[in-house]
Amino acid sequence: MKLLIVEDQAKTGQYLCQGLREAGFATELASDGDSGQHLALTGDYDLLLLDVMLPGRDGWQILQSVRQAGLDTPVLFLTARDAVQDRVHGLELGADDYLVKPFAFSELLARVRSLLRRGASPSQDTCLSLADLKLDLIRRRVERAGQRLDLTAKEFALLELLLRRQGEVLPKSLIASQVWDMNFDSDTNVIEVAIRRLRLKVDDAHPHKLIHTVRGMGYVLEVRHD
Amino acid sequence: MRLSLGTRLALLFAACTAAVSLGAGLLFSQASARHFIELDQQLLSARLTQMRSQLGPLSSADQLTAHLPQLRSQLSHQSDLALRISGGDGQTWFASRSGLPSEPAATGLATLHANGTDFRSLGIALRSDGPGAARMTLFLDITHHQHFLQRMQQLIWSTVGLSALATALLGAWAVRRGLRPLRQMGKVAASVSARSLTTRLPVGQLPDELAELAAAVNAMLQRLDDAFQRLSAFSADIAHELRTPLSNLLTHTQVTLTRPRSLEQYREALHGNLEELQRMAQMVNDMLFLAKADHGLLVPGQQPLQLEDEVDALLEYYAALAEEADIRLQRDGTAALNGDRHMLRRALSNLLDNALRFTPAGGEIRVTLQPGARLCVANTGPAIDPDALPRLFDRFYRADPARRDGGREHAGLGLAITRSIVQAHGGQIGIDSQAGWTRVTLDLPAVQDG
Repeated sequence: MKLLIVEDQAKTGQYLCQGLREAGFATELASDGDSGQHLALTGDYDLLLLDVMLPGRDGWQILQSVRQAGLDTPVLFLTARDAVQDRVHGLELGADDYLVKPFAFSELLARVRSLLRRGASPSQDTCLSLADLKLDLIRRRVERAGQRLDLTAKEFALLELLLRRQGEVLPKSLIASQVWDMNFDSDTNVIEVAIRRLRLKVDDAHPHKLIHTVRGMGYVLEVRHD
Repeated sequence: MRLSLGTRLALLFAACTAAVSLGAGLLFSQASARHFIELDQQLLSARLTQMRSQLGPLSSADQLTAHLPQLRSQLSHQSDLALRISGGDGQTWFASRSGLPSEPAATGLATLHANGTDFRSLGIALRSDGPGAARMTLFLDITHHQHFLQRMQQLIWSTVGLSALATALLGAWAVRRGLRPLRQMGKVAASVSARSLTTRLPVGQLPDELAELAAAVNAMLQRLDDAFQRLSAFSADIAHELRTPLSNLLTHTQVTLTRPRSLEQYREALHGNLEELQRMAQMVNDMLFLAKADHGLLVPGQQPLQLEDEVDALLEYYAALAEEADIRLQRDGTAALNGDRHMLRRALSNLLDNALRFTPAGGEIRVTLQPGARLCVANTGPAIDPDALPRLFDRFYRADPARRDGGREHAGLGLAITRSIVQAHGGQIGIDSQAGWTRVTLDLPAVQDG
């Protein structure tokens, strides 16, 4: 997966590149609008990360030329401005998502992955699993090591999300938004409590834990050997 | 031309006085003129009647001769009277002095002028049998009357002029005195600056007309002062709220770097910093949200919502947390309105979050909905100081200042955000605390029919 980052702030660009590279993406960085547009039109990218305010041409102009060239590469805007008109303008021009600075890197990563997945055909699996954990979407049943787990509806939804995006660190805000439809930052520990309760049912009786806390970032469902 | 208020009023006063004194003068002089005419008429007709009865009917000048000495002696008593007797043919039989004006055309009292003297004349026939009879005409010299009237007219004009001048001067002085409160107001208003918004106009010392204006100006100053206080308090709070975590970050990072440490310690340090940074980011985002609300940029969507659904979703969201804290959550009633789902959820979430924070274990949180869109979040717990109640919605306000650095503690912006959202929806928010319950009440505009 190859991403283009157009960001004129050297540090921001550098950190984003490093973070995304370490998350397994190939990245290229352009630090002004003109070279950004040139790369966006000539390179074969899976996703564009555009800053709105850029020297030369701004992010919106790049987006416009990309869409005019008939490319439907997903575009994620990063901006320090948060005016409703800006958001609407960006989405009208064909942006796919919009992140306002300051944002958490885990949030950016989660959004990047969502956008990249959007192109792919949705999985038709009726059964999600990791190691000895199995989740049956049709019968709404969860099993760990052959034993049935009794989950509430929200716990089921939470586990489904973790399973679908296993190996990804999911920030609390994303979990709140996906599972409870709470689309705002709240610093309550609701998610912590929910994860703790899920863990109690999924992991406590088993030596190999699957749900892990990544401090300060979020939660991840994966098999760890340590 | 722009005249000052003082000049304008002084000129108006002068014009009024001039008009009034002129009118009075003219009336008086007319009345005196008429009075003189009446006096003359009485005098002349009395004398004339008396003389005619003395003379009796005369038909020739010769008959007159016998009466002349008596007439002369009578006339000598009054020097301003003159007599002329003429025959039916217009021949003068007798004239007490020369230079008398000729007979007036009309009968009755007439005013005549001859040789520089003004006369009033009244004539009568000596015989009552038809025309051609001898006529006796009495003349009164009225020069002194006319002089008096002329002097009076001069007096009137000078009175008009002088009184106008005097009124203009006095008026200007009076206006200056009268407008002194206005100048004081101006002085006070000029002294108001961002540093001294507490200055107020002395309403009690001002005349009624100005007191109203001054009260309005004071009210404006009060509003400015409030807004300014809030703004400066907000800026100071921002500085303080950001300074504390920044100082933590600086200290922590520098201390960590002062000597080599284990990998685990570095990781720990970064985690500590991350938490601090996340709090700061959250705070900045919240403050930007409030700034947008302040600038009227918060434009809520208008989708039809069933509030009970939203409340239930939120109660479900908080259910686990509440269960762990041993707090019961409950919802009663229903309400429908048009609003922005995300914003209202955020507003309600802040209320519930706050309620959960302050409800002791074993307590209860009750959300009551009423149509007409009233929503009430009540929680059990110790009563809040009544003085603190209205301030709970202020930015960065915490009921208990000691909790300021309490780890995961809220920045104190939650209720301010809730209020902004409610106000952006055209609603109102209120709070009261009594009988063991703290109640936050939202009044939101109901769904409009049609």
